[in-house]
Amino acid sequence: MSLSRTVRHAKAILTGFKYLFAGPRLTLMYPDDIQELPEGYRGMIEYDWDSCIKCSLCAMVCPADAMKMYVSKEESEREGKVVKRPGINYTRCIFCGFCVDICPTDSLRFTKVHDVAYYTYEEQIYPPAEFSKGVPRPLYLREPRKVRAVLDERRGIRYEPARS
Amino acid sequence: MDILKLLFEPYIFIPLVFPGLVAAFLLLLIIIWLERKIAAKVQLRYGPLYVFKPLGGVIQTIADLLRYLFQEPIVPREADKLAFLMTPVFLFGLAYLPVVAVPISPTYYAFRSDVSLLIVMALTTLAPIFTVLMGWSSNNKFSLIGGVREGYLVISYEIPMFLSAISMAILYKSLDLVEIAEAQKGLWGVILNPLAAINMLLLMYMSTSKFPFEIPEAESEIVAGPYTEYSGIIYGLVMGASYVKLYVLSLVYSILFLGGWNPLPINDPMVAGAMLFVKAFLLVALGAFLRAVYPRFRIDQAISIGWKIAFPLSLISVVISLLLIMGGVSLVVK
Amino acid sequence: MISSGERELELLIGPQHPASGHMRLVAKVDGDVVVELRPNIGYVHRSVEKLAEVKKYLQIIPLVERPSLADTTANNLAYVMALEKLLGIEPPERAKYLRTLLAEINRIHSHLYGLGIHGVMIGSSTAYMWCFGDREPFLELAQELTGARLTYSYIIPGGVRRDLPAGLGERAERVLRYMENRMRDYFNLYFNNPVVRARLEGVGVLSRHDAINLGITGPNLRASGVAYDVRRAEPYAAYPELEFDIVTEEAGDSFARVMVRVREIVESMRIIRQVIRKIPEGPILHESYEKLIPPKLRESMKQRGMVKFPSVFANLRVPPGEAISRVEGGRGEVVFHIVSDGKLSPYRMRMVTPSFRNVILFEHLTRGVRVADIPAIYGSLDYFPPEADR
Repeated sequence: MSLSRTVRHAKAILTGFKYLFAGPRLTLMYPDDIQELPEGYRGMIEYDWDSCIKCSLCAMVCPADAMKMYVSKEESEREGKVVKRPGINYTRCIFCGFCVDICPTDSLRFTKVHDVAYYTYEEQIYPPAEFSKGVPRPLYLREPRKVRAVLDERRGIRYEPARS
Repeated sequence: MDILKLLFEPYIFIPLVFPGLVAAFLLLLIIIWLERKIAAKVQLRYGPLYVFKPLGGVIQTIADLLRYLFQEPIVPREADKLAFLMTPVFLFGLAYLPVVAVPISPTYYAFRSDVSLLIVMALTTLAPIFTVLMGWSSNNKFSLIGGVREGYLVISYEIPMFLSAISMAILYKSLDLVEIAEAQKGLWGVILNPLAAINMLLLMYMSTSKFPFEIPEAESEIVAGPYTEYSGIIYGLVMGASYVKLYVLSLVYSILFLGGWNPLPINDPMVAGAMLFVKAFLLVALGAFLRAVYPRFRIDQAISIGWKIAFPLSLISVVISLLLIMGGVSLVVK
Repeated sequence: MISSGERELELLIGPQHPASGHMRLVAKVDGDVVVELRPNIGYVHRSVEKLAEVKKYLQIIPLVERPSLADTTANNLAYVMALEKLLGIEPPERAKYLRTLLAEINRIHSHLYGLGIHGVMIGSSTAYMWCFGDREPFLELAQELTGARLTYSYIIPGGVRRDLPAGLGERAERVLRYMENRMRDYFNLYFNNPVVRARLEGVGVLSRHDAINLGITGPNLRASGVAYDVRRAEPYAAYPELEFDIVTEEAGDSFARVMVRVREIVESMRIIRQVIRKIPEGPILHESYEKLIPPKLRESMKQRGMVKFPSVFANLRVPPGEAISRVEGGRGEVVFHIVSDGKLSPYRMRMVTPSFRNVILFEHLTRGVRVADIPAIYGSLDYFPPEADR
């Protein structure tokens, strides 16, 4: 009884030593290394002004009321009727991607951008005109290295420099 | 010149520079960083890294220390203010005080006493009193429980630790640390009486609440135990105290069991001191490594380890020493 | 603090406490012995049920995921299953397999989450870091499948949103092999560590009789020797076609609850392998919805393996009626009850989460234990306050 306990103590300590000298590391060195995200990652959303048919399905399906239809003044005056276009509020968005999936013309698309910082709440609200200009590019102090997560049998997850 | 010479006088150099305050402070800075690094490596991550990256963030502790220095120390309104503020100072002071009796070479010591082992052991028992006081003076339920836990632990590790140390003194027929170290020119104490060595190591980690005995400050149970209400640099002091105590005990342990400064290539106090320091450092590092292996015991389990395992083992190790003496193993060089 | 003559000390553990979670435990202790422990829940109540009454059916999917963030698929699946019962549709076979795949990946990383938190509660930061580190490959798999790390919103009425990406099966196999290798070290360093055993064995014993009477669910129930699993009792998704064992332990103590989770991870890995081997070809969205999508879009959707929603999803109308669904989530049985009156939102939605059913154990298991056992028991229950509070 006591012997088996001693053996188990020894096993625990030896396993600790094994990892002290030979263990892998799972850390992604985030601001220096940026992970290349898989296809279909649900990041910030891109809006294509021209192909939008203004059906407002995106605003209807949005579970967080982040997507809203804004009256487009210029177009409304030009066409003589109320024209509405979608704008997004990233303070509310939960990145479920329902708006993208319901868009019948693929005017809304996922991007892989997800790590943007803002100074104010107001900046995070994108009316249609700004929304169509594309997603902001995150600003990095140092240009990060792009890495790819490789699932590995021995090390679990390994971050390799991505081939671009 | 005179001042410099004065600095190297043993009675100043030992308590203030090495192995005293300066060395303890340096060890503190390195060991806290190393502890985090060791735990990080076992836990598949990097640990502190970004403060001076070329050396793996080795000065992270200095950055933390600066933060502690500039943080406002908050004293709770209901706390016993004098006791609350003074205990960390006493705790830290008493944790490193036993160093004065530790010799660093056969000829270099602050003072030589026939009973230096007893002096060291006696002085190390003083610090926990202040931990208990700290728990009481904070006027916080978690602090109180932490203080009481410390008290319970003290009574369960102190006696067996003393007995383990005494068993070595019996073996070397001396209570003088210089003589004890010199007696191990041949065989080390750890080989002669391995039971006492293992026992003392266990109790050493128990007395400085290292894992798996990190019970008085068990975070998930009682927040930070006696230290709950402390902040700023006074928290820095109490946190450092247990490392310093471990360091002092490690020095004593190295002298008792690991041959002290032996094997000594040249009889130079600095070489001998370095030898001793490396051994003590490795022991402290081992304590840091155990954090990555063990969770913590419950207080009743720790007490029963103290009384049901460590205490009988320490008695047996005394008997082993006596048998070795009677068997005629003559080690004492005189 | 303590007035004279009083013996018991009242400890307020939480909500500002390193190990309390979003709740307060009111403990009365006599020395080191807990006389009474009452959980004070509701700190993170978010009124999911009431919110559901003003949200449209599809909008509720992300909502029900939010309370139990580590175990989102169970809630998503249970809600959609109830919805499908009302709509009277059955998802295609391939979608069922994909649902099972995600549910099992989710079960593994939910269990790892629970084991990790439990580890740090008894003081092993290594168990915590290992579990959270090893969640990462599984989250990576799930991210590849769904496009998100935790809040998948993957299961929709009539199917799933994404098809299996090319090569995912092979990558999943690598992750499973990695996890199998790591299990040995987990046992050596943590589960068989004598200190862990000393802390968990015989602590917080829940008898089989009490487990049934108190209505305990999930791994906590199975650790008391009751072989009850919704995946068997009322099979759903692809479970009827898959082979797996119901994991049970007899002891009913904290360690048994941990072991049930560990062995369920192994069992889930077995299920994932079968899913990847057996998954049939075919559509991933019910044909009645697929035919509503414009033909051009339908083509590109099939090519990319990403479902486009038909426009009816924006205002999904559900026939009046009631439906109940049950799903075995990571922490236990999730039950959804939807009452529809034919409008755009449910008339009433009831969401029963496993944590809410297990919260009674705090009071039941902690009588007479030591103060240090509180986190050892708390962690072993894998209790998640937001999930209980909803």
